[in-house]
Amino acid sequence: MACKKDYAEQIHHYLDEELTLLERKRFESHIQKCSACHAHVRELRKTEAIVQSASHIKAPANFTDNVMSQLPKQSQKARYKN
Amino acid sequence: MDAVVKKIVIEVKKGNQQAFSELVELYKDKVYQIAYRMLGNVHEAQDVAQEAFLRAYVNIESYDTNRKFSTWLFRIATNLAIDRIRKKKPDFHLEDKVAGTEDLDYYSQFATEDKLPEEKVVQYETQDWVQKEIMALPPKYRSAIILKYIEDLSLKEISNILNLPVATVKTRIHRGREALRKRLRET
Repeated sequence: MACKKDYAEQIHHYLDEELTLLERKRFESHIQKCSACHAHVRELRKTEAIVQSASHIKAPANFTDNVMSQLPKQSQKARYKN
Repeated sequence: MDAVVKKIVIEVKKGNQQAFSELVELYKDKVYQIAYRMLGNVHEAQDVAQEAFLRAYVNIESYDTNRKFSTWLFRIATNLAIDRIRKKKPDFHLEDKVAGTEDLDYYSQFATEDKLPEEKVVQYETQDWVQKEIMALPPKYRSAIILKYIEDLSLKEISNILNLPVATVKTRIHRGREALRKRLRET
């Protein structure tokens, strides 16, 4: 059952730990009674965990060589600066 | 780290082209990852990631060494990826059913192509359902979610990369994860 009060915004601030101590206490006592909000928080935490678990992928092995071979050719003058 | 990067950038600015390869080595994975997570396609990701480094090289004079190099570089990469998304306007989605079939989606079509072994691993990622869910997000939420949860950047850094106020970044993260929650709940 959906929660009558609109906690939609506050849920996110709770998740990001941006509520004041008093707001947090109130919110926490609310979710103890409200199963809809409780489930909402749990689902959001799960969503965060799932996205964070996305494996880190690496650039292809020849990546650096490809980039370096495409750089504009250096002029004599530019090389003299070294 | 930052001091090392600054030293390399100064070398590049002086005209030492070879020094630029060190910057590419340092950031290639993160730039590629941003591009891949934004575009969901290995070829486009490689294209955009390479282009980001080329632009960084060509525009290195305009980079202010007092600011964080990665923020500047990631901004170039993110902008290029968003441009690419705007241009392509897909007329089908990968999860759409292939015409004339009962249960084949376009993901299954990719799997039948012959790929190099290395690409196969990433190909698997293409089918990764987390990526599929990320791709379902509107690009403006997608970029915020990727930078926060996959690149693990602070709100301040994300705000600098996306050139948006921190409050706007927060809203995009809230909406993005709300959209993801609704989709993930159905699975």
